[in-house]
Amino acid sequence: MAQLSDLEYLRLSKGAKFGYKLGRFFTGIPKGIGHFFLKIGQGLKKGAMAVGREVSDIVSTFVHGDWKTKLSFFIMGFGSIARGQILRGLLFLLFEIVFIGYMIMSGGYWLSMLPSLGKVGPSKTYNEDLDVFVTTYNDNSFQILLYGVLTIFFILAFIYTWRVNVRQNKMSEMILASGKKLKSGREDLHSIVDDQFHKTLLALPMTGIIIFTMLPILFMILVAFTNYDGTHNGYTNSLFTWVGLDNFNTMFSWTGGAGGTQSYAATFFEVLLWTLIWAFFATFTNYFLGMFVAMAINKKGIKFKKGWRTILVLTIAIPQFISLLYVSKMFAKNGIINGFLLDMGWISEAIDFFGDASRPWLARVTVILINIWIGIPYLMLITTGILMNIPADLYESAKIDGASGWKQYTKITLPYMLFVTGPYLLTSFTGNMNNFNVIYLLTAGAPTNAAASSASGSVGYTDLLITWLFKITTGAESKYYMASVIGILVFVVVALISLIVYNLMPSIKNEEDFR
Amino acid sequence: MKKFLAIVLAAVMALSMVSFATADGETYDIKIWVAEAAKDLTEKQIADFNANNEFGFKFNATIEAVSEADAATQMITDVEAGGDIYCFAQDQFARLVQAGALDALGKKASETVIANNDAGTVAAATSGEQLYAYPLTADNGYFMYYDKSVIPDEDVDSLEKLIADCEAAQKYFAFEMQTSAWYLASFFFATGCRSVWMTDDNGEFISVSDTFDSDNGLIAVKGMKKLVDSPYHLSAGGADQFNQNAAVLVSGTWDFAKVQEYLGDNMGVTDLPSFEVDGKEYHLGSFNGCKLLGVKPQVDEMKGAAIHKLAQYLTGAQCQMERFEALAWGPSNLEDQASEAVQANPGLAALIKQAPYSVPQGQIHGSWWDIAKVIGEDVKNATDDAGLQAALDNYQDKIASLFTMSDEVKNAWTAIGTINGTNWDADVTMTKGDDGVWKTDALELHAGEEFKVRQGLSWDNNFPTENFKVEADGTYVITFDEAATTVDIVAQ
Amino acid sequence: MSEATAKRHMGLKASRAVTNTAIHVLLIVISIIWLIPFVCIVLQSFRVENSGQVGYVLPKVWGTDNYVNLFQTDFPRWYTNTFIAAIITAILQTVIVLCMSYTLSRFRFKMRQPLMKFMLILGMFPGMLSMIILYRVLKDLGLTQENATPGLILVYVASSGMGYYVSKGFFDTIPMSLDEAARIDGATRAQILYKIILPLSKPIVIYTVLTAFMGPWGDYVFARYIAFGASAGKNVAVGLYDWLSKDQISNNYTMFCAGGVLVALPVTILFMFLQKYYVEGVTGGAVKG
Repeated sequence: MAQLSDLEYLRLSKGAKFGYKLGRFFTGIPKGIGHFFLKIGQGLKKGAMAVGREVSDIVSTFVHGDWKTKLSFFIMGFGSIARGQILRGLLFLLFEIVFIGYMIMSGGYWLSMLPSLGKVGPSKTYNEDLDVFVTTYNDNSFQILLYGVLTIFFILAFIYTWRVNVRQNKMSEMILASGKKLKSGREDLHSIVDDQFHKTLLALPMTGIIIFTMLPILFMILVAFTNYDGTHNGYTNSLFTWVGLDNFNTMFSWTGGAGGTQSYAATFFEVLLWTLIWAFFATFTNYFLGMFVAMAINKKGIKFKKGWRTILVLTIAIPQFISLLYVSKMFAKNGIINGFLLDMGWISEAIDFFGDASRPWLARVTVILINIWIGIPYLMLITTGILMNIPADLYESAKIDGASGWKQYTKITLPYMLFVTGPYLLTSFTGNMNNFNVIYLLTAGAPTNAAASSASGSVGYTDLLITWLFKITTGAESKYYMASVIGILVFVVVALISLIVYNLMPSIKNEEDFR
Repeated sequence: MKKFLAIVLAAVMALSMVSFATADGETYDIKIWVAEAAKDLTEKQIADFNANNEFGFKFNATIEAVSEADAATQMITDVEAGGDIYCFAQDQFARLVQAGALDALGKKASETVIANNDAGTVAAATSGEQLYAYPLTADNGYFMYYDKSVIPDEDVDSLEKLIADCEAAQKYFAFEMQTSAWYLASFFFATGCRSVWMTDDNGEFISVSDTFDSDNGLIAVKGMKKLVDSPYHLSAGGADQFNQNAAVLVSGTWDFAKVQEYLGDNMGVTDLPSFEVDGKEYHLGSFNGCKLLGVKPQVDEMKGAAIHKLAQYLTGAQCQMERFEALAWGPSNLEDQASEAVQANPGLAALIKQAPYSVPQGQIHGSWWDIAKVIGEDVKNATDDAGLQAALDNYQDKIASLFTMSDEVKNAWTAIGTINGTNWDADVTMTKGDDGVWKTDALELHAGEEFKVRQGLSWDNNFPTENFKVEADGTYVITFDEAATTVDIVAQ
Repeated sequence: MSEATAKRHMGLKASRAVTNTAIHVLLIVISIIWLIPFVCIVLQSFRVENSGQVGYVLPKVWGTDNYVNLFQTDFPRWYTNTFIAAIITAILQTVIVLCMSYTLSRFRFKMRQPLMKFMLILGMFPGMLSMIILYRVLKDLGLTQENATPGLILVYVASSGMGYYVSKGFFDTIPMSLDEAARIDGATRAQILYKIILPLSKPIVIYTVLTAFMGPWGDYVFARYIAFGASAGKNVAVGLYDWLSKDQISNNYTMFCAGGVLVALPVTILFMFLQKYYVEGVTGGAVKG
């Protein structure tokens, strides 16, 4: 696609502008990929150079440092203590002792088992006198993987701390040589509420995120390279082990199982397509209808504004497992919706909203409609505030020009809303892709997709990737490794979409703009 | 660090044990999972055991309500932290054995169980030759409840008439077809189709003999089509359907009390009806299953032995009878089954009436339930006989895929025969050398023994044409040259 | 005012009246649709004659039996578990989220951008599978099954730093010049936070407390996994959901509805009172985050 000059670009209609941008984005992909690899190459080079610098700095610190510094290489914090920074030094020393103690007590063991994920499975022996089998549990693959990874983290943290320790010695020597004084323990303490306040504030949240979010995700990624499933649970039946890329091969092979059963890849793309359709409609139906309801309530002359809002907001306040479960029962073939429709004579036989596999779109559309019931209130709340922020004089001047209500909406309200809520729309799209609750509580994936269902679990027409993933883990064979592969793919899809949308957004948002 | 903690914990636990222990002997802390309804009764039964047992130990039991349908999922979450004794429906048996969540019964315990329980329930608790659980009930089958005010008694033997009655009254016929393979199998059993699975001692499935995809299977799905095509068919279960406009419900004894409450004198209970295809009548079949009681593998042998004693007590004649009296659970114990009260129970009577058409559930692959369930959807979507046949083919393909072998196994050659203490029933593995010749390890062979080599554990490719005969005793390596297709033995 | 313009005014007024009536009607219809499920749940919770699911809405025999019966079950325990979890989570999560968002909004340090990108990427992974490993971690800490509540609190709070976007967006709207002025007056960073920023941030603090408080009431999948097989460790969602299992639904359905009403009450009441702040919080933060 040829690049247009600014002038040509500005002359294009809105639709053409968007098309142009989209086209540019996709034609830019090959270049982008090339760029990406170039960046990686540069990054590697930079990294290697940085490591080289670090090493030479460490060596020179050792060679030129005094005996306190030299000893600090082996006894962390020694230099600090010797130079009077007792608190700092003791913390370094404590960390070193804990680290060495941990490595001797258990870290070494976990690390040595990591490549095999365990060698000896459980065994049982029969005790004739007691007429009972006695079970002996041995290695635990799961624990080895978990603690192995934790140990690696710990080692990295140690190396980093050791490096900081070395650098501090060098700095201290320089400061002392220039005749200044080192910071006292008191000053150190003061800095954690002032200069270093950001570190203090971030310490706790980041520790939590690393242990309870990052570590599990890293672990999940690793599971995709093992054969961890119901029959290899790593402890009470068989150990699991590394299988390389086997699971990805299974996922991406189009040949399917024996006798022509549908392959994982085909099922994946089928479910992905519906996931995207769902996310699109779930996001935009709520967006426009929510905005519409907000405008209706905000309109001059409408009474009980607060009352309407409160009623709508009930769907947010009441936990979904109560409201959605009830709604799903209302839509059953013999539920009250069908009863009502039959009584009114609008239908002659009950509609099987979620059970009719011959009409998968019936279930899908119903789910999207019910989602409106859940989603409108959020959007109403969000848009209410923004609508009030639109400068009133814009509308006044539009009215003077004789613009109709519709025109005002398309020319003023909508552009303003889209501009302000752009990023929100993106997060809500990706959030809907992973909207487990609505699908699981409403339909649990039903109606069943006969062709796509296989030995690793049934797949339904309303299943999203995330509910499919859940079914695979809880299904008869508990294929955790396959669920992990899907989890990684969900990430890839979400990341890709975010990347595309960010590139297409009317204005790349600058944080400082809102100041 | 962990070890140290473990030692401290063990010490604390040991101390607390001592303080709990009575003069009679040990007190064991255990967790028991039973159905919500059986919680109070189980508590009483354990108190009885503590008071009366001759072994001198006691249990300090924590009893939790865990649905029998859900026990496997819960156990598999973490076997170590699961219930020491737990009740579960038969269909989860294989999954639990595979997960290492069931402790095998000792020889003496097995003998007692086999002697005292219904043969079908013993088979349900057996994998290969090994017994893994205690039969708890023998009532896990289904039959038909109906509303007498809607369905005339003379119509209850015919599926077609039942459907017509329901449609005329605008009432629902609740029979799970698209949602449960357990009920769906009814139509196949009616026409003599079976799905029989074999397991080894470790709960692994080794083979299946499945006749759903056959001429009789086609008849079955034609019958099923009549039901699922009715606008008044409801693929749902539970006694509550009678509150929501249902006139017929296929379900089991567990719904008896509730259905009686809802329908009162209008409650009808009987065996399943027959359907007609091409002028022939087929009586609907059913699964005849049971509930089992399992013991989690134990690392302490004394505790393990004690728990097995308790499990035996809980599934013994007395406890089963108490359960029958309190909850109307049909006993698996032969003595209890013969009692007059059990024979007279209307729910169980319907089961007995259905019994000639029922099929013992045996062991079924965990994935079968998901695979077979789909037939219901396919049948509903089918527009003609070809569509029905496609539903069966689809099913057959998926069953076959459960036993697909890796390419490695498919291409590998093995030796099989009367060698190595086997009798044409186990293969001896061979490994391929760099020269392209497959070799076994060194084997003791005896004069007169015979064997062949075959590929992919099947007889499609096998050599030599006539069985290879061993001439003299000795230690040999069996070799097979894949290029020349020659078999030989080389003395070591 | 000429006659013509007066007429036009009248016409406008009339047409506005018509539109407004139409909107009122529409809002009434919407409100009815929105309320039906809730009204049904409340009605069912007062049904005495039948404890299962039925095909009609109005109870034939009214009574509070279901609410009374709730207290014979483990429900009070589940309710306490959830309530404690909700309160503690609301407090700690608010502290964590505010720390995180304030830092990322107010400080400019070397690792800021990489940190935000890192969390953005982490947030793109589906969290579903994490529960298996989180279970193991909590088990090693002794915080599963009957001790699940502290375990759940730990997980909710620990991962809450990820949800900093909304409140960061809010902090971004408070002018930096306030900080700079205070800094010149010699205030430390910590003092600026307590004395200047927090008093201005009432809506976002309340918004954060409210969302954090609501979270634990609805958690079903993860809570069930952590508390498996131990009634004492369940939260209301898990406990009530189990009453809908096949073998219990015909005995416990109306009790489920009654439990549902009791669960919805505190959250709804809180929400009613704090709605204004919630709106200010989302509009101030969500769209600019």
